[in-house]
Amino acid sequence: MRLHVQLVVSGLLQGGVYAVIALGLTLVFGVMRVINVAHGELVMLGAYTTFWVFALWQVNPLLTLLVSIPLLFFLGMVIERLLIARVVDQPEVTALLLTFGLSIFLVGTALNLWSADFRSVESPMLAGSVMPWLWLPGLGWLQVFIPKPRLISFLLSLLITGTVFAFLKYTRTGKAIRATAQSREVAMACGINVRRIYTLTFGLGAALAAAGGSLISLMLAIFPEMGAVLTLKSFCIIVLGGMGNYAGAFFGGLVLGLAETYGAFYTTPQLQEAFAYLLLILILLLKPSGLLGVVRQ
Amino acid sequence: MRPLPRDLLLLGLCLVLAVLPVSAAPQYVVSLVLFVFMFIALAESWNLLSGYTGYVSFGHVVFFGVGAYTTAITMTRWGLAWLPASLLGGVAAVGLALLIGYPCLRLKGPYFAISMLGLSEVVRLLALYLEPLTGGGMGISRIRPPTPDPTPVVYWAMEAMAVLVVAVTYAIDRAQFGLRLKSIREDELAAEAMGINTTAYKMYAFLLSAFFPGIVGGIHAYYLSYIEPDSTFALLYTINMAIMTIFGGRGTVWGPVIGAVTLYLVSEAVWVRFPFLHLVLFGLVIMIVVLFMPRGVLGWIATRRPRLVPAGKEL
Amino acid sequence: MKTRHVLWVLVLLVAVALSGPTQAAEPIKIGAAISLTGKYGRTGEYQLEGYQLWVKQVNERGGLLGRPVELIVLDDKSDPATSVKLYEKLITVDQVDLVLAPYSSAVTYAVAPVTEKYGYPMLAAGASSTKIWEQGYRYIFMMVSPAEVYLEGAVDIAARNGLKTVAMLAENSLFPKASAAGTKKLLQARGMELVFYEEYPKTVTDFSAVMLKLQQLRPEVVLANTYFPDAVIITRQMKEYNVSPKLYAATVGPALPDFYESLGKTAEYVYGPSQWDIKLKTPGNAEFVKAYTELHGRPPDYHSASGYASCVMLEMAVKQVGSLDRDKIRDALARLDTTTVFGDYAVDEQGKQLKHKMVLLQWQDGQLEIVWPDELATAPPRFPTPPWEQRG
Repeated sequence: MRLHVQLVVSGLLQGGVYAVIALGLTLVFGVMRVINVAHGELVMLGAYTTFWVFALWQVNPLLTLLVSIPLLFFLGMVIERLLIARVVDQPEVTALLLTFGLSIFLVGTALNLWSADFRSVESPMLAGSVMPWLWLPGLGWLQVFIPKPRLISFLLSLLITGTVFAFLKYTRTGKAIRATAQSREVAMACGINVRRIYTLTFGLGAALAAAGGSLISLMLAIFPEMGAVLTLKSFCIIVLGGMGNYAGAFFGGLVLGLAETYGAFYTTPQLQEAFAYLLLILILLLKPSGLLGVVRQ
Repeated sequence: MRPLPRDLLLLGLCLVLAVLPVSAAPQYVVSLVLFVFMFIALAESWNLLSGYTGYVSFGHVVFFGVGAYTTAITMTRWGLAWLPASLLGGVAAVGLALLIGYPCLRLKGPYFAISMLGLSEVVRLLALYLEPLTGGGMGISRIRPPTPDPTPVVYWAMEAMAVLVVAVTYAIDRAQFGLRLKSIREDELAAEAMGINTTAYKMYAFLLSAFFPGIVGGIHAYYLSYIEPDSTFALLYTINMAIMTIFGGRGTVWGPVIGAVTLYLVSEAVWVRFPFLHLVLFGLVIMIVVLFMPRGVLGWIATRRPRLVPAGKEL
Repeated sequence: MKTRHVLWVLVLLVAVALSGPTQAAEPIKIGAAISLTGKYGRTGEYQLEGYQLWVKQVNERGGLLGRPVELIVLDDKSDPATSVKLYEKLITVDQVDLVLAPYSSAVTYAVAPVTEKYGYPMLAAGASSTKIWEQGYRYIFMMVSPAEVYLEGAVDIAARNGLKTVAMLAENSLFPKASAAGTKKLLQARGMELVFYEEYPKTVTDFSAVMLKLQQLRPEVVLANTYFPDAVIITRQMKEYNVSPKLYAATVGPALPDFYESLGKTAEYVYGPSQWDIKLKTPGNAEFVKAYTELHGRPPDYHSASGYASCVMLEMAVKQVGSLDRDKIRDALARLDTTTVFGDYAVDEQGKQLKHKMVLLQWQDGQLEIVWPDELATAPPRFPTPPWEQRG
């Protein structure tokens, strides 16, 4: 039993970061109907921001979030203005291919600038692990094992997700974003500047990707080609949670984290990456609207 | 209407190009043109499904890979000759397409695209995992003996495939079949309402577009004599098929041909000379084409010089 | 009209493809495709830097056979299929006079049929899987000790200290699997028990599930059959998941200076085999290290040394032959029995290495020390590795 508690904890910790990244992707899709294939590359840029700020100035890796988030927010807005805005009204495929070109461009640029080397962020304050006791009904006290970097990045993921939810729910701009997601025409009729909302949303999506990248860099290696897998996993998550469904992205992230941890533990790490795709295909076939999805149209 | 000598002329040109270099040209040029043929066949196959019906596949490499593995396994285990083994590769690809076609083709837009991507990834991981059958990460080597040099034979085979796929597409494009596929792309619901059995037509297009890459994958495996999962199921193949088609013009007979020839040669020239720069340039080219020539080169010419391309003919 | 347009495009492109660079006959052209990007990029770069140092030195010495040497380098992106294409290009288009080897067993394995087909002798500076030499190839020669004995030193130290339970990991590709298979035999011979064995694909970057299993099993020894990136991640996650074996070694990774750079103090106590070391007393080693560091701004690792030595031996063979006759060079390499900075070299009739010896290194206070075999050791092994919570 202790084992299962441990596996669940590990899975959830893993899923937290996935959730942040996927939230960015689903936000952009929900509002703009654009699948950003370069989302994983934005994560990669976030991770490199953390790495360089840390490596050059020995800044606490957690504080680098304060650099990576605004930086990518700005870059996201630039990308939207320069590229995405031109295709937002065209068939989905166009944006799919445009962002795909962008992803290749970003990977190539990263390779040129920073080489194919694997990098990692090593900080004494993030090393080691904590071993808290948990009380569970029917099981009593159990000691579980949590690597510190994972715990910290999970807690930050919750904080970031919570902030974004609150922003969407309570602020004027957040409400405007949700209104635009529901119906562009109605939003326009209500006097919302949809162009501005698009730019903001894409910036926000990129900022979430950056946050995810900074958090991932606390746990895993950083390299130019790291994005593709993350893009795919994020797709899987938002399909799981229902495309454009914000809460769904969060739970989808946790579900994927659990599925991967359990899957890899009970079968073999050789198939770890396959669980995301298997889950994706199953959901697409059985319940295309996602676990929490509402059928549109 | 008219017998369209233009198209036949182009077909003839392909034949001439094919005969020309094998004996005289340096080996690298031969293998270069060989790969151009391969990509013509692959891109045109992708076009058959994604260009004509609008069902964009992000995982088409799966058929190429399954064909390659079928060929490699039947050649090394059963001692089959390359030709029947490659055909078997095509059959295996069609088998896979049959298996997944019905459920997957119910999905639309990005869902279909991504489910195909997922499929190709799962099959790649399976190829890694099922070691007794596929050799796992070590792959399968010595698919053929090192001598004699297979290049001339493979050259002919790839050329035949390119011509065959283009010819099939040409025939479909002129027939009612092509019209029905295009009607699915334009408005599937309306097509259905008009009494077109869209499910059946999508399926036919899907099976055809799986069959040819299966054979091509088999020939390619025979040529390389060494396959392993990561490079056989590389996303880059799918990417190339899609980009070449889109560059030339989706849903046209000659678009993928133009795309394959241009982009393959350009990317080859770029990435061999500047090993670090090719990805950047490739990404830029894709973005520029998508933004400024959304209907591909053919569409672009049609807009710029409407007299050259009769309106409505190419798209 | 449209047809003419398309025709022009085709003609132009073919012309571009056919033209290629035109060559003056003067310099000797040596070609190599090597991984500069992707998974093998880091190690491939070291090997290439070894090649580059030799090219610089040989040109300063007045060239090879009185002609300057020009090195043509292409990037195979860590992809065996790409490498096959590139060697085909180097040989038939660039028409190089000689080739140097790619990096990694998997890539070399894929390339060997090509160099064999054209009769280009190749000293496999970066391949240690004996399988390559069991295919009957005549033009490829092994320089390094085989994959099967990479972990011999680690197993020896563990056995001498009475450790019994072993967990082993291996990437699912040619070299790590060969070294895992060899290690399994060594373990059996020493009466040790393999309690855990798992393979993983090249693309995995998270070993949490493996670490959770190791937490349960508590093996005394962890042996990882890796390349550089996965060695770093595994080491890191062992710390995160508090997996504390008494001895932990990884095949490729720990012996690279960058290992410590990436991991800092986490790298302490980690063992890694090496084909060569800066501290070895091979002839000319100190001069090699100095020249290399001056040229590239960082010290060499063993891939640099094997790359450099492969060039030096090729030079020896060419000088013996006195021409660029590749068949004769091949015969000279087959007969060659010499010692370079990299150590001893002599091959059997299959081209397999007979004489070269490995060492085992351990990170001690930020320094790589040779801890095995005893006669070459620069320091005794720090054994056992203390549990993570007792380390600073």
